[in-house]
Amino acid sequence: MLGPALRIAAKDLRLSLRGAQGLAQTALLGLLIIFVFSLSRKPGELVPALAASAIFWLSTLFSQVLVFNGLYALEENNGARMGLAMAPIAPQAVWLGKALAGFLLVLCCQAVFAVAVAAFLGQDAAGSLALGLGSVLVVDVGLAALGSFMGALASGKGARESLLTVVFFPLIIPVLLAGIRLLEGVILGGDGPSLEWMGIAAAFAAVFSAAALILFPYLYTGEE
Amino acid sequence: MLEASSLAKFYGERLVFKGVSLRLEAGRTLMVVGANGAGKTTLLRVLAGLSRPSAGSVRSGVERGRMAYLGHQTFIYPDATASENLRFWTGLYGRDLDDAALQDALERVGLRRFAQERAGAFSRGMAQRLNLARVFCIGPSLLFLDEPDTGLDVASTAMLHDRVEALRRDGAAVAWVSHHLARDLAKADDVLFLDKGRAAYLGPASGFDASDLSGAECAC
Repeated sequence: MLGPALRIAAKDLRLSLRGAQGLAQTALLGLLIIFVFSLSRKPGELVPALAASAIFWLSTLFSQVLVFNGLYALEENNGARMGLAMAPIAPQAVWLGKALAGFLLVLCCQAVFAVAVAAFLGQDAAGSLALGLGSVLVVDVGLAALGSFMGALASGKGARESLLTVVFFPLIIPVLLAGIRLLEGVILGGDGPSLEWMGIAAAFAAVFSAAALILFPYLYTGEE
Repeated sequence: MLEASSLAKFYGERLVFKGVSLRLEAGRTLMVVGANGAGKTTLLRVLAGLSRPSAGSVRSGVERGRMAYLGHQTFIYPDATASENLRFWTGLYGRDLDDAALQDALERVGLRRFAQERAGAFSRGMAQRLNLARVFCIGPSLLFLDEPDTGLDVASTAMLHDRVEALRRDGAAVAWVSHHLARDLAKADDVLFLDKGRAAYLGPASGFDASDLSGAECAC
């Protein structure tokens, strides 16, 4: 499964970065959210670490929805989804390939968002940067696992795309809270409840990865 | 090679076809004919495993990597070049093409000089030729053709027919949906005629009366 998944991920990254319009628009949306929130603070006032962390993850979430919709839209041109369904690969390879590509694309966006949070919201990291990066990666794995699954659910079905946000956002709450708390800890420094939230994020990633591996073949087929 | 028994397909309440049973042997061509909406494409998709039948079953003795589908959809990624498209699809079938093999495959469909061009800029005919290159690189033992010559010029259509005939001679089984019965019937060994949601005829091509098609209707 890993070989085909890597092929799909490489193809998706190449197509997503070619011209970079899709990724640039996605990053711009996140930047706009951070900028709009920055307008609510008075000159010289610091945004609380918890709020800054929440704004970072909110930007990430909106970007993530766009990224995965875009990745699955690639297969809706010229029946490529049917081609994938015919190919001698495990259907889950599509989920994994899209999750890998989405994970890296979202990570690129987050690099921009992190700079924007520091610049527009006046934040600095008092805690360990390694812990911060580790936290973001663990949370991103969960987001990618669910995002790739939900992207498949919505692919090619206009009516389902609106449903995606209704289903996706409630499901994402546990890992979102973990992300917010972990990043707050990194901004404030000191000994926070990092391990507990890290555990929640890791469990979220494991549960939704397992669910996707079981359910994906029923969800993503050659049916039109 | 492929055996289907008592196949039925409904979309909601609407019957597409029912009671379709057939056998497809190696080295034989089954032509599926019928009026628009008779369920030919749906049947082909069910046989290829792309759509689940509402009833009945399909059994195939061919592994998935030796099946290919060539239809209206070209499976190409418009933002990828012709080479990238071909490499991606053949790679999924475990056939990694080196540069020489890639150039050769594109040469055979007349696209060698367009290898590095975006496939999105191709005409319908060029896109379908790229699709042909994909299918022939796979070297299928079971080939599903759904009006594969749509959008192809005369020379490309002749090339397609030659290559399909070559595959059949090598032992591939072919299930072929065609609207050009007068032209294509001679290439068929057997004919399945879908009419009013049922198999109105299934037998040797020599025994099929093409005039039956004039009164054919869909099941809708």
